[in-house]
Amino acid sequence: MRPRLLGSTRLRLAPVAVGLCAVILSACGAATTATHPKHTTKPVAAATGNPSSAVTLNEAGSTLIYPYLQVIAPQFNSKYSHITVAPQPGGSGLGISEAISGLVQMGGSDAYLSPGQASANPNLLNIPIAISAQAVNYNVPGAPANLKISGNILAQMYGGKITEWNDPQIAAINPGVTLPALRVVPVRRLDGSGDTFIFTSLLTKTNTAWANGPAFGTSVTWPANSAELGANGNPGMIQVCKANPGCVAYIGVSVENTALEDGLQEALLQNKAGNYLVPDLATITSAVTASSGNTPANLRQSLIYSSGANSYPIINFEYLMINQTQPNAATAEAVRTFMDWAISPTGGATGGNLSAVNFVALPTIVIPKVEAAINKISG
Amino acid sequence: MRFKLTAGGAGGNAGPTFLPSARKLAGADLTARDRAVRWVLLGAGLVPTLMLLFLTAEMVREAIPAFVYSGWSLFTGHVFTFGNLYVTKLTVHHGVSAPHGAAYGALPFIFGTLVSSLIALVVAVPVAVGAVLALTERVPARLQPGLSVFFELLAGMPSVVYGFWGILVFGPLLAKHVFPVLAHLGGLLPFFSGSVGYGEGLLTASLVLAIMIIPIIAATTRELVRTVPILAKEGALALGMTQYETAKVVILPYVRRGILAAAILGWARALGETMAVLMISGDLLNGFPANIYSPFSSIAATIVAMLDSALTDATGMAIHALAAIGVILLVITLATNLLGRLIIRRVSHGVVLPIGRGV
Repeated sequence: MRPRLLGSTRLRLAPVAVGLCAVILSACGAATTATHPKHTTKPVAAATGNPSSAVTLNEAGSTLIYPYLQVIAPQFNSKYSHITVAPQPGGSGLGISEAISGLVQMGGSDAYLSPGQASANPNLLNIPIAISAQAVNYNVPGAPANLKISGNILAQMYGGKITEWNDPQIAAINPGVTLPALRVVPVRRLDGSGDTFIFTSLLTKTNTAWANGPAFGTSVTWPANSAELGANGNPGMIQVCKANPGCVAYIGVSVENTALEDGLQEALLQNKAGNYLVPDLATITSAVTASSGNTPANLRQSLIYSSGANSYPIINFEYLMINQTQPNAATAEAVRTFMDWAISPTGGATGGNLSAVNFVALPTIVIPKVEAAINKISG
Repeated sequence: MRFKLTAGGAGGNAGPTFLPSARKLAGADLTARDRAVRWVLLGAGLVPTLMLLFLTAEMVREAIPAFVYSGWSLFTGHVFTFGNLYVTKLTVHHGVSAPHGAAYGALPFIFGTLVSSLIALVVAVPVAVGAVLALTERVPARLQPGLSVFFELLAGMPSVVYGFWGILVFGPLLAKHVFPVLAHLGGLLPFFSGSVGYGEGLLTASLVLAIMIIPIIAATTRELVRTVPILAKEGALALGMTQYETAKVVILPYVRRGILAAAILGWARALGETMAVLMISGDLLNGFPANIYSPFSSIAATIVAMLDSALTDATGMAIHALAAIGVILLVITLATNLLGRLIIRRVSHGVVLPIGRGV
């Protein structure tokens, strides 16, 4: 294993190291190089590369990040043939708990660690690899394909205060639209879910009763509502919403294409500036630029309800929960290799991969902090 | 226990002779292998008992903090929540600390478990008894074994298949065609009126549970009906009773207690049923179903649904709370099982033939 380079020595030697690696590459044809050709001013990551024997990195958790990992895992394996990344769904709650217990090397989560979890597990890092968003879908036959809805209205729907789709509050912001007197059927996630976390974060910021009551979390005290239904995972949300006219559900953008194909309608969600938007590349990017200015070093930051006329209100970091101390050096190196590759625009975070799941790349301002976190992983 | 032994053929009429050392004599004849086998069998025999005790003890031990924290509100409270895991403040009750706002009230789950299983029982018992009577009294004897196979097949179907079928086919079918008709009964029974929903709810889940417990009740009832003396049935027929009157007057009173015991065993199965209920119940939280078609939640389904959220609770209280409601389910199920067995035992000890009763 190559020795780790420390502090300022890295900055001076970085261009030399990159140049040397390029020479070795062309000479030997083996892929053992640092993976940031664009960030030449950044420090070279500590030892990464294709290990000599097979390593499997297990990932479980968020169903929002799952489609993205399904896209990039085979590409990673074709570049680093000895490392296999095996993703599984199960919900962010599962991702966090299995990362804590060590059952998986990477726990996928849309929610960052809570203060309690962080203090109980000081070695657990939450490292984002992309920016994702969440849409609000509904199934109201006869309604327009894009209805205007606000977080305040959603909080009242889930709280049981708004029970019919022809409620005056909805009609007030959708002039000229007649909605049927259909019962509102809110659908919530049963499993510990990062989607619940980001959705309830929006409700907390837009409705005081919700902020003082259920607040936000991967699982919250949903108000008693006899019309409410539960579903497991993002695909489950689509299936339940499809089967129950009158439903409203929060669904991650990575499966939004499926939701729309299945006949669900997508809401125009009100942002902080008062405009109504759907999640797409422009609105998500606008929100990212407005909100990721002061990300702390521990990368626990909420990007919900950011300012900006064209900013979509529900966006979030997609985290992989990784233990700082891996069981052995080979696993640590494999994890670092994957993480470096995943955030690199020429590795995993290509335009094609991200747009396949409607994600957006991490903003450049955050990348140094992410790399610092990756370099903490050791075995 | 004292054994009466008469020595050989001598003095055979001399009355009982006791050999207190008979057992010792028997013991002296055991080889080492016999003794080893005895120990192994003892161990094997202890395993079920020890497993039950171990399971119960561990569950109770895990549940104690939640019992202390909630007190009686565990049985009377309406709200079951793990609290706000993203706030550092902790709530403390009786010396036990839990996340801010945590409350563990299991009344909706207890209600849901008991009501769904009772409705299932009310539907399943007449159907099972009727099916058995049809099978034993009206179906020709050569067809009986073939048709009874269906009961066993129904019993062997995995519950996840029932849940899958329930949520995709049975529930929507009921909601579209059966429930609107039942809703007209709303005038008589208030909980039958109101929104019919789309198939996920109390009545759908109870009906699927009923289908699952029919084989249990039917199998036991079939064995019991076979024990009715043929003399009594022939006597009734000779007196000119129809088959219906025979069943009502002779067969059913004879097996009534047995059917009760079978029903209780079926009830115990319905109480613990997890997967099917999880998929069809709609998982209502913190409230009671508004009418018989509304979503509800049961203890078993809730434990499965909330387990992975519970694992993210850094204080660990969420796991204790789930263990506490698990203990409640354990106690209910054990009690119903014991009750069923007690009744069966009383049934098999000399039931007097009730000929003449009701004639």
